[in-house]
Amino acid sequence: MTTLLVDEYWNQMVTVALLGTDRRDPPSPPSGGLADMAADDPQPTPSQRLLQQVAATTVVRRAGLMPGEPIATVAPPADDARPITPATATATWRRIITDWPVLEDEWVLTIVRVGRRLAPELVSPLLVRHRTDAVRHARALVAAGPLGNWMIDWSPRLACTAKQPRNAPAALEMVAELPPLAIVPEFEEMLTAKAFEVASRLAEGLATAQFGTAHRAVLVNLIARIPSASLPAVAKALDRVNPSSPSIGHAFALADLAHLRHHMLTELEPA
Amino acid sequence: MSTVATVSDPATPAQVWQVEQVLALAPRPSSVAAAQPLAVPSRWAGIGCDERAVWGRCTGGSAEPYECVVDHVGVAFKCSCPSRIIPCKHALALLLLWARGQVPSGETPGYAQTWLANRPDPAANTPPQPSPLPPKPAATTTATVHAASPDRDPTSSRDDRIARMAAGLAELDRWLDDRLRTGLADPVLAQYATWDELAARLVDAQVGGLANRVRRLAGMVGSHPDWHQHVLAELGALHLLATAGRQLGLLPPSLADSVAATIGWQVRQADVLAGVPHTDHWAVMGRSDTREDRIEVRRIWLRGLHSGEWAMALSFAAYGQSLDATLTVGSLVHADLFRYPGALGLRVLLGLRHGDSSFDGAASLNDLVASSVAGACADVGAAIAAEPWIERYPVCLRAAPARRQNRWLLTDATGSVPLVEGVTGIAALLACSGGQSVAITAEWTPFGLVPLTVHLADRVVDVGPTADPSFLAASA
Repeated sequence: MTTLLVDEYWNQMVTVALLGTDRRDPPSPPSGGLADMAADDPQPTPSQRLLQQVAATTVVRRAGLMPGEPIATVAPPADDARPITPATATATWRRIITDWPVLEDEWVLTIVRVGRRLAPELVSPLLVRHRTDAVRHARALVAAGPLGNWMIDWSPRLACTAKQPRNAPAALEMVAELPPLAIVPEFEEMLTAKAFEVASRLAEGLATAQFGTAHRAVLVNLIARIPSASLPAVAKALDRVNPSSPSIGHAFALADLAHLRHHMLTELEPA
Repeated sequence: MSTVATVSDPATPAQVWQVEQVLALAPRPSSVAAAQPLAVPSRWAGIGCDERAVWGRCTGGSAEPYECVVDHVGVAFKCSCPSRIIPCKHALALLLLWARGQVPSGETPGYAQTWLANRPDPAANTPPQPSPLPPKPAATTTATVHAASPDRDPTSSRDDRIARMAAGLAELDRWLDDRLRTGLADPVLAQYATWDELAARLVDAQVGGLANRVRRLAGMVGSHPDWHQHVLAELGALHLLATAGRQLGLLPPSLADSVAATIGWQVRQADVLAGVPHTDHWAVMGRSDTREDRIEVRRIWLRGLHSGEWAMALSFAAYGQSLDATLTVGSLVHADLFRYPGALGLRVLLGLRHGDSSFDGAASLNDLVASSVAGACADVGAAIAAEPWIERYPVCLRAAPARRQNRWLLTDATGSVPLVEGVTGIAALLACSGGQSVAITAEWTPFGLVPLTVHLADRVVDVGPTADPSFLAASA
């Protein structure tokens, strides 16, 4: 009983099953095991005969699963000599997009700056996530390397859907730069201040409730943009804010942001 | 106003229910939704359970907490809340907590004792064995206890259940016969009610496993140009189970166990844990989340580094609950596994963990020997020959993704096998492989392979289908 015969028999049964045995009799099984079974256990009605043969043929076809002909593999993407991001960076990115998306631009730009490329498992999620944003999509493509465009060739849903083409000159300039974040003038000096000064000012402001809910967004932006060398001191100072302070919740959140940003930057540095 | 209610008996003595069993008791979906916020230990005081009942006081909207007791052997409920819905959300929440192992054993409080004392003794009509499986040492004590009551017939309830199941299976077969007589083009098949009513009758007949298959089948009608083929094949599998389920006594024991488990017999965890453990270093090879009716099911595929054998750990989550995340893809667990009975015996319970470590992709995979495409097909064929109704089987193969006629396949020198169309994970598989041959763990289904994991030289990438995060608790 060849696979071809069984497949043909199956197709005949599908036709009869569609029409119903009230309208058409089931086909006779091909000689072999299926015919033997039908002879050994005869069924009284056409529908029962069909049901019995459908069950048996389903098992025969599934258990006799045969591989198809080998087919040509797809041409691989061009080589990219850059080392890929460490495996732990994949988890860091997932945390960033969940908890602190303000860090994502810097994360991608750091990958490019340190001469790494995106881990392959992140290429598709990153392109999908930014397909409506020409600049971020282009930035993801730079980080992904040749694999990025290769993926778009195979999966057009990963392509950018924004009106601005991804190779537009204006967009290309923006791709390499960290986008500015809103920081109030009174905080701007902290962007260039020494680490201990930033740390003590933030910790004091939170401990005395000088900084409250209204300051949260701008403090987030500040910590996302202060020099990376200041991050350990800032994180340490925020961890030590008096737990009885009314702004302790903000302190914890900002400390988490500082820790995560420090972690993501050190994690991406070449070994 | 206190509510006391009794329903039919889906449980067995001392058996901790599974989440699906609890959900099956819900009179309507909104009851489950209402119970979910209460199914946390912080809402309860004095919760406890024993061999007969589970109880607790739930802090609700009233000044006094509601006293809730559930007889999980006789299956009855008592709650001091004013709800007329049976079981109420408090009873469901209590059962959910119990099913998730969050209710400690304890001494029965007075309010529960009083109610239970007025209820019929469950020992009078409860079978000594919950399943048609061969007797196990753990059940001996129960059987002995029942033997001490000469005026009770311990097998009558079990016989009743077997009779109900046989009747349900016969009805299923008649229904299948009618479908083939009138034809799959019959418009009634496009109506969900047609399938749902059958599924409800199968639940009544205590063959819940088949009810789930029937409901899944309903979603298949019209979903694909070839749906007739898929539905017909699945009707064939249902006929096979309906026939085998009525002849359990004639089947070899392991096959009978498989049929019984598939049609809906629950095996007690205690019985499984009383078996001989299979100790090995288990590589967590893949993860697959699927939504089945109102619960999210997580399958974790494990493979023994020394034995090369596969095993599957299941976890369940209803709305707002979390799936088990203790087994991470790419980790290695030195543990005792206890297999459920069956011809393939894939499903396991995790016993003692002797230690965990990381599993470094391809290096460790060499110990497992990823097979060729032809080898994977042969493995699947052998598994289907052992249990013809299986819907999934794990394979680990070394192959490259390739495309033919708008469909992705895995290919190597020995052949090719299709991937399920539109399944998540194909893009990640493609990116991780770069079109080259890589070691892949996948799940066979009748519609093709579902990629679960890509084993790279330096990392293991989980690409399996993921549960909807909005359905699960935030901690999932």
